[in-house]
Amino acid sequence: MKKILNAPADYVDEMLDGLVAAHPEFYRLHGDSHRVIARATTGRTGKVGIVTGGGSGHLPVFTGYVGPGLLDACAIGDVFASPSAEQMADAIRAADMGAGVLRLYGNYGGDVMNFDMAGDLVEFDDIRCTTVQLADDVASAPPGEREKRRGVAGMVYAFKIAGAAAEAGLDLDGVTRVAQKAADACRSVGAALSPCTVPQAGRPTFEIGEDEMEMGMGIHGEPGVWRDKLRPADAIAEEMMDRLLADIPVGRGDRVSVLVNSLGATPPEELYILYRVVKARLEEAGASIVMPLVGRYATSMEMAGVSFTLIKLDEELEGFLRAPCDCAFWRVG
Amino acid sequence: MIDRDALLGAIARLTAAMEREAPALNEIDGALGDGDLGITMTRGMQAVASGAAEMPADLGQALLRCAQAFTKTSGSSYGTLFATGLMSAAKALKGRESLDASEVSGLIAGARDAMQQRGKAEIGGKTVLDSLDAMAKATVGLSDPAEVARAARNAAQEAMEAFREKPATVGRARIFADKSRTMLDPGMLAMTRIVEAVTGEA
Repeated sequence: MKKILNAPADYVDEMLDGLVAAHPEFYRLHGDSHRVIARATTGRTGKVGIVTGGGSGHLPVFTGYVGPGLLDACAIGDVFASPSAEQMADAIRAADMGAGVLRLYGNYGGDVMNFDMAGDLVEFDDIRCTTVQLADDVASAPPGEREKRRGVAGMVYAFKIAGAAAEAGLDLDGVTRVAQKAADACRSVGAALSPCTVPQAGRPTFEIGEDEMEMGMGIHGEPGVWRDKLRPADAIAEEMMDRLLADIPVGRGDRVSVLVNSLGATPPEELYILYRVVKARLEEAGASIVMPLVGRYATSMEMAGVSFTLIKLDEELEGFLRAPCDCAFWRVG
Repeated sequence: MIDRDALLGAIARLTAAMEREAPALNEIDGALGDGDLGITMTRGMQAVASGAAEMPADLGQALLRCAQAFTKTSGSSYGTLFATGLMSAAKALKGRESLDASEVSGLIAGARDAMQQRGKAEIGGKTVLDSLDAMAKATVGLSDPAEVARAARNAAQEAMEAFREKPATVGRARIFADKSRTMLDPGMLAMTRIVEAVTGEA
């Protein structure tokens, strides 16, 4: 394992210490578990709180997106491991400003179970909770079994749009409705070139040949749809767009945003090579692209690879996407 | 009759058993999952044991504390499911300072149902639910404490072996469905060790 770290067991705690030390204007540790990050400045009373949670190893997801116009609090687990229900309950308490809390997170078994359990734990605090789960990875299950799909980079759009809705003063049902609409409008697909290493495991999450790639692979190395020789950038981009557009038709007059995301090691240069095809395909379909995002928004540490996320916008979603937000990794407006 | 003293005895035995079995549980879990099952159970039970002296006589309150020890120390699915099962028993026993062995079957069935609702797995899917299902059914109608203990223990052991040849259907193990054939399910193995320790036959 070739990683910059001290003791593997301290990886997450030291990462969070550094994050808070570097950006005290955005983040603070909440409670005594050392695994809950809340906004440095609590939002105003009566605003709906938005909380997320999940394993470490995906920065800026999840913790990074705590900030004005985005999330209120986040529970963080070990690398690729769910936080505990108690930590999630603490994050819900930190996010509560009297108007209820939306739990907005990715569809992974452990996270789902623990957020459910956390909901039971905060019932005693009289905090009303709702849930929206991201299930945007088209490669993880067919359209008929959408509820089984994993949540990936579509989270970034959902955080942004739900965060803006809460900031605009919508009530819990309103924020939940908008978040669900955003989640339903997102589709993602990924392709991996090389694995990453979980510090406490000390070995790569999967093995892949030096000249191979895997289409549709999950962000923790979950098996994809095919593995073969590495293809040219344009061929990769064409196939990824085929897969997205087969799942969510885009036509003349549609307004969409698209995220071309590095899984960690893939540099921005390669993302921009891919973006040419993304733009051409969407314009060919007659769609207008709103606020394209190109960069590292949802990662798997040092994994090489890319994901595309497409979101079809209506007037309401576009308004919330364009609204201001601020955190250490992303500013709009 | 099962009361606070009996619970404290079971906690001590189970904590020792989990410490002893942790490497084996980690190893079998590591073949299909993330390899932290032994750590999850050991950390959880050590947290339960550290609060044993202050354990209330109300069995509902006592089991609630046991559940909370797991929700605090672990984010792993098995820890959360175990806590869910304990919470179900805690609710059923609220305000009670003792129970008869004849009630154990119903408590196991209640835990099974609560855990099924939380984990969304089916009975027959080669998970800990199948251990609990077998234990609940094997203990129905029994009232002699030694008989209940023996029936539960045998049921857990037999269910684990009966499911050995079946493919995993849920969780990360599902990805390795073929490989999982011929392997014991880690969650079922843990439940077998748990019931052996609790009934004093580890």
